[in-house]
Amino acid sequence: MKKYRVAYQIALQETLQRRSTLIMDRLGGFAVVVSLYSFWTALIGDKATFLGYTRAEMLTYVLALNILRSFVFTGRGWQLVGEISSGRISSYLIRPLSYHGYALALDLAQKTIHVAASFFEVSLLAVCVRGELFLPRDPATWLLFSVAVLLSSLLFFFLEFMVSSLAFWTSESGGPLFCFELFLQFAAGAFFPLDVLPLGLRRALEATPFPYMVYFPVRIFLEKVPPFEAMGMLGMEALWLMAVFTAAMMIWRRGVRSYAAEGG
Amino acid sequence: MPGPKGPGVTIIHKYWRIWLRTASMAMQAQLTYRLGSFGFLLGKMISLFFFFAFMAAVFQHVETVAGYSLVETALFFMTFNLVDMTAQILFRGVYGARRTVSEGDFDFYLVQPCSPLFRMTCSTVDFLDIVTIIPVIVMTGMVFARLPTLGWLNYAAYGLLMLNGVGLIYAIHILVAALAVRTQELESAIWIYRDIMFMGKFPVDVYAPAVRWALTIGIPIAVMTTFPAKALLGRLSPFWIVYALALTAVALPLSWHFWKNSVARYTSSSS
Repeated sequence: MKKYRVAYQIALQETLQRRSTLIMDRLGGFAVVVSLYSFWTALIGDKATFLGYTRAEMLTYVLALNILRSFVFTGRGWQLVGEISSGRISSYLIRPLSYHGYALALDLAQKTIHVAASFFEVSLLAVCVRGELFLPRDPATWLLFSVAVLLSSLLFFFLEFMVSSLAFWTSESGGPLFCFELFLQFAAGAFFPLDVLPLGLRRALEATPFPYMVYFPVRIFLEKVPPFEAMGMLGMEALWLMAVFTAAMMIWRRGVRSYAAEGG
Repeated sequence: MPGPKGPGVTIIHKYWRIWLRTASMAMQAQLTYRLGSFGFLLGKMISLFFFFAFMAAVFQHVETVAGYSLVETALFFMTFNLVDMTAQILFRGVYGARRTVSEGDFDFYLVQPCSPLFRMTCSTVDFLDIVTIIPVIVMTGMVFARLPTLGWLNYAAYGLLMLNGVGLIYAIHILVAALAVRTQELESAIWIYRDIMFMGKFPVDVYAPAVRWALTIGIPIAVMTTFPAKALLGRLSPFWIVYALALTAVALPLSWHFWKNSVARYTSSSS
């Protein structure tokens, strides 16, 4: 475990060293949240509820998006594509470490910084909206939400890893990865709650692992799902994670077997 | 020696030929990268489709947003896409500006008989955006067909402010390119612009007054994306039209001056 802890610490220092990039990243993400927040505020207007969400719930959904984007959507997919395409992956394959463990350590470092920044941003916005936010009343909700977010993060990590592993067979895997990430963000509810979609489309999306990354965790946080049902959701999410993990590892092993690098 | 058509026409002809040549090279590169290009294209289409579906779905539940109907909100969204995609097609080179500088390609630009700014900003053409803009134009036509009858002055103001918006975006791209030359860093400067541009997807009227002012005066996203649509709908006063034109008239020379100053300080960053 020590080597992964060291990798985590080094990655943390590297992220903090590139402060201007970090600040710009956060500023850009913040602009998206302000934009969505304003749009929903305009939509709600003077209405008591909209799509079954009260004003406080809807605004909490948008602010929770900022935190979840920082915690869930920070995988290592693009780095993996670059490392396979350039052949740099060779140096990791011969080291006495698990590439997945190493990538998870780096990812965790990135998440640590971005989640801390997103909490600051959300607090800032919460002050601006004068505390008009929904906070769970039941302490169990916090626990259920935390577990859901942790599983979501791992689900995204291995899903992205699976798609990025295409780079073992083609140097053009950037396109499919870009397409996958965009689709995933919409299908996960990272731009708007899936409730807004027609019932048929929503049902179809709910049968995929994508809503487990944002939409379902936020619904748990907003106590829109009874605790017993929430536990069922977590069980389903765990099953999806196992399935995706197994598939990702299988593709990885096949990819490594077919991988060839030339030069020094 | 200038040709028989005069020096101005000769220069335009020269740059047109350079643009065509580099655009052709970019297209060939993208055609050899078929799976990758298809993925990027599909991603752009998905983004467009989902946002449009979202807008349509939202208006199943409300009559208006910030005083705008579905057709009017769609007009804002399509105008944003038209302006944004036109800029992406024309000024794509800026996205790789830092790499151009750090890998030493910019040194070659400086010794070529062509404006380095032109080479840096305009000589990379993203054909995927050209393909993506076609459905956007068709959808904009459909939105236009659902608008009430408008006078030719409205359409003229719309066209003028769209061009003005592209000019203003060019000023921002020059600024980003100049920052890359000056610092050899700030790769994310263009991405922060892209994220902030996200705010232009909605009419500026949905934002709180302070944000609205920031988007009109500070980072003028509203001038680029909201103003043309508002002018078409007859909801933009002549004062703001003059303001938009004056802003671009000031921003372009200022960014050009900053670029020249940055190039003058440049001492080569590669080996």
